[in-house]
Amino acid sequence: MAGTLDIPNLDQARAVIVHPAPDHVAALMRQLNAIGLSVTNAWPDLPASAITADFIFYDTDMGHDAQFPWGPGTAPMPMIALVGTEAPGRIEWAARMGADALLLKPVGSSGAFSALLMARHSFELRRTLTSEIKQLRQRMSARQTVVQAVALLSAQGKSQDAAYDQLRQLAMAWRINVEEAAARIVKNATDKGILRDSH
Amino acid sequence: MKKTVDLGVLYSQSGTYAAISQAVLRGAMAGIDEVNASSSSQISFRPILRDPEGRIYRYAPLCADIIANSDARHVIGCVTSSARKEVIPILDRTNAMLWYNLPFEGFETSNRVIYSHACANQHLLPLLSWCFQNFGTTPYLVGSNYIWGWETCRVARMRTDEAGGRVLGERYLPLGDEDIDTLIAEIETLRPAFILNSLVGASSYAFLHAYGELGRRDPHFTAETCPVVSCNLTEAELPQLGQDAEGLVSVGPHFCPSRSHDGRNSSFEIISRQSVLTLAAILMAQGDQPFENFIADHGARFGIDPATHHSTLSVKVAQVRGGVFEVLHHWPDIAPDPYLTRSSRHPNIGHPKLSVVS
Repeated sequence: MAGTLDIPNLDQARAVIVHPAPDHVAALMRQLNAIGLSVTNAWPDLPASAITADFIFYDTDMGHDAQFPWGPGTAPMPMIALVGTEAPGRIEWAARMGADALLLKPVGSSGAFSALLMARHSFELRRTLTSEIKQLRQRMSARQTVVQAVALLSAQGKSQDAAYDQLRQLAMAWRINVEEAAARIVKNATDKGILRDSH
Repeated sequence: MKKTVDLGVLYSQSGTYAAISQAVLRGAMAGIDEVNASSSSQISFRPILRDPEGRIYRYAPLCADIIANSDARHVIGCVTSSARKEVIPILDRTNAMLWYNLPFEGFETSNRVIYSHACANQHLLPLLSWCFQNFGTTPYLVGSNYIWGWETCRVARMRTDEAGGRVLGERYLPLGDEDIDTLIAEIETLRPAFILNSLVGASSYAFLHAYGELGRRDPHFTAETCPVVSCNLTEAELPQLGQDAEGLVSVGPHFCPSRSHDGRNSSFEIISRQSVLTLAAILMAQGDQPFENFIADHGARFGIDPATHHSTLSVKVAQVRGGVFEVLHHWPDIAPDPYLTRSSRHPNIGHPKLSVVS
């Protein structure tokens, strides 16, 4: 994610406030309306439609796991914790639910805008990192396949360096990554029975 | 028999931005006189004047002083955003209201403030769109070293990138600093398409005089080929600029169609006067309802958007020609968008110049 925050079109965003007393968060509603979001209130349980919301604000004083249709830390959108009691247990719960930003209660006439931007930034960052880690894990688990493919290619009389280079060129030609190319070569060899002896 | 109502007035009469401050002060006092002289008005205002002398840390104590030592629940005041941010905690504590009558960068909608002048979608965005269309997308940005300068330049940079252009340079001067030689030398080397000037007060005058000088030395640096444009230049500061005001481009809700005397009739002054008249009208209609509830329910009747406490305004791009601002482009009735989140409220000039996107 670039260093700049993407602000426009927050006016098409939808926020759900999960709080038992809507009157206590009227100032938050006012701020969100001024910024341009459409806001609904939910308590105690989030309706199924909340899954398409762009932001969730959730009360940490009275909140609990079962209110959310997703597991702790796996919300599909940025989550902003509304913190009243700063008891460690409650902060812990807020963090476990996956707070991307905090807003302290009572909410006054500012704070919501920074919370929205921070939350979206943290959420996007987390999502990018998670998907990168997943990709790297997949590639790491393919190490053995790459070794096998290089061995197969060098069995045709090439040095290991030249074999690895050929693997990379094949990957480029097939427009897939090295790990996938290796898997294809190994599968091909297995199908032809070349690898039977090594099993 | 009129009811007398205390009204705080918190404008500096001296300091680096005195010319702007005196314009809004003049407007507020004219509004008060008008309300007091009107036979149809059931109230008359008693102004409670305090002068922070352009010193940032005088604003909060003097605002507290107005509220503690009079019956004022409303204060007309503050020129800079820094000053406004200083007084908001006082307003929050005392439930008083501030009427802020100058253009500002936005990103704030306090329940305790009425923002009567323009926010960035009503000044900066339309001005940039006009500049990109007429002069190109390689600006140079210069501003005073506080929130107004920073945020104006940040948005300008973002918009320039979006338009496929490039910011050639960006410089900040401390408020009141008049040391502009480096700035001028840099502009001379970089030859930008236009210069966005968000300097305030003495720094701005020093810069504009030096730029005038540069233009006399090198004709590229004149209004035809490389204009200086600004979101905060009005008639109020033309006397300080003299001949070097010629060709400057500004944006605002009103410009005075005839030559103004002693910097009078700027949009700062007009909007400040209007804010007093609006307050008088609201006070007469408000009854026993708390002010903020009344604005939430009836603000629109008085031209105040209940959601943002801002106003819908005309947007005019104008250039100083023969000592008078001549309007070059006009968008009527632009609704406020203080957080720049509503693209539909961002005025634009028809078809932007084509640019190669790599």
